[in-house]
Amino acid sequence: MNISILSDPFMQHAILATLLAGVVCPLIGVLVVTMRLSFIGVSLAHAAFAGALLGLILGMNSVWMALIFSVIAAGILGPLADSGEFSPDTAMGVVFTSALGLSFLFLSLVPGPKTEALSLLWGGVLTVTKTELEFLAGITLLTLLTLMLFYKEVCAVLFQRELAESTGIPARAIFYGILLFCGLAITSSLNIIGGMLVFCLIINPAAAAYQLTYRIGTMFVLSVLFGVLSGWVGLFFSCLFNLPAGALIIVTSSAFFLAAITFSPKRKARFVRLTKDG
Amino acid sequence: MSLVVEIKNAWIRYPQKNALQDVSLHLKEREALGIFGYNGAGKSTLLKVIIGLKRLDSGSLTVHGLQLTPETQRAIRRKTAYLPQCLDADIRMPISAWDVAMMGRYGKIGLFKRPSQSDREFVRTLLQQVDAERYANTPFGMLSGGERQRVMIAHALAQEPRLLLMDEPTNSLDLDFTRILCGIIRDAHSRYQLTSIIVSHDAEFLSDICTRILFMRDGRIAGELLPEDFRGAAMVGRRFCKELQ
Repeated sequence: MNISILSDPFMQHAILATLLAGVVCPLIGVLVVTMRLSFIGVSLAHAAFAGALLGLILGMNSVWMALIFSVIAAGILGPLADSGEFSPDTAMGVVFTSALGLSFLFLSLVPGPKTEALSLLWGGVLTVTKTELEFLAGITLLTLLTLMLFYKEVCAVLFQRELAESTGIPARAIFYGILLFCGLAITSSLNIIGGMLVFCLIINPAAAAYQLTYRIGTMFVLSVLFGVLSGWVGLFFSCLFNLPAGALIIVTSSAFFLAAITFSPKRKARFVRLTKDG
Repeated sequence: MSLVVEIKNAWIRYPQKNALQDVSLHLKEREALGIFGYNGAGKSTLLKVIIGLKRLDSGSLTVHGLQLTPETQRAIRRKTAYLPQCLDADIRMPISAWDVAMMGRYGKIGLFKRPSQSDREFVRTLLQQVDAERYANTPFGMLSGGERQRVMIAHALAQEPRLLLMDEPTNSLDLDFTRILCGIIRDAHSRYQLTSIIVSHDAEFLSDICTRILFMRDGRIAGELLPEDFRGAAMVGRRFCKELQ
């Protein structure tokens, strides 16, 4: 691989895009993994994909349509899970299957060659535009700022929502905010990682970090580190072997997860706890 | 003495069974009210109603002199601490005992602010009082049931509440720790001049720390006793309950 490739604008965009997606997706991942709502990422990613496809069919901006669909899906998920009539798992299952059905329907309705539609599925980090990059940077910054502002409330909700609510924290608003930001992170990364793979970048780095630390602050830092490294390592091998970058980014993040569970200090801790409990 | 909690003709209706049926009760300042009853009697539901986690279908509820509505809910919660039934925390959860105790303070600190040095000092003192300071840095999920309960009491007291609601605080605790917990709760009650409602199916525990005990069955208040009468009656165990029914 020629090092001069790094001076090409498309490669600089790609490096920046993987950096930003590697920050925003794992940040959201920490929230959904700790709350044991990992399937949220899958549900919202498919809703965003369906929205983007509808945008293509109607000749509208696919990013905005993806955003609208994922926000609507997040808006449905929260009250459905809160209604008490369904478990959060059931609510996510309903949204996921509905979004999947809509995605297949819209995919069949896209006129002409389906290259653009399929690129939404696999992403295209090397073809990311300046506008997409600005949108992703905006969402990343907004997520970071919001998380810093509401850090202690978010931690309380992650620990136990009902308990947080009972202490006067607006736990429901925080939970809905987490869903909303999950939708925003997915939409902004859709063109880079792809609708099918973006939730892996949400879950894998956070799941790897979860294995390695007992501090929530460290978990945020580690998951971002794994996310950014996954992006850059995936991008490097993509250029080296001329393979799809999105897929390699996910494979790298999975490798981080495997390494984390192999060397996790929590495996030993679990044994100690089991012994302690008799 | 003014009333801290006043419930009148409270109903929660479900298709198969009513969770609360025409429940009325009042609680004066500094009282420690015990609520005794078997599973499904409506004890926990009653606590969740008072903290606003469940809504009444009919009836009225006043806490700290405020009628419970969505507008007054937050003000009520800031003066009321709720200790839920033993929390099931993941052993790998990246949250320490210190974090959990400090979380009780977050509602009082308010949005956009970080815990100050005095908040940290206060939480440290609470952890010392419940003898949990030595495992403050231990992940909450790795604590035993008794250790978690100490931390949860520190969490509740961190709110500086006027009203403390405890749901089955002795669940999954052995006899020795139940006695220790009695001491911790009694100490906190007098030190912080609390008013409490304690839900339990442990008759001896309730008669040790409560000033008045209500018996609930099928969502109704089935009877009321003073602890000394209840202690004697509890000795007879199930026969007492049958008599009340």
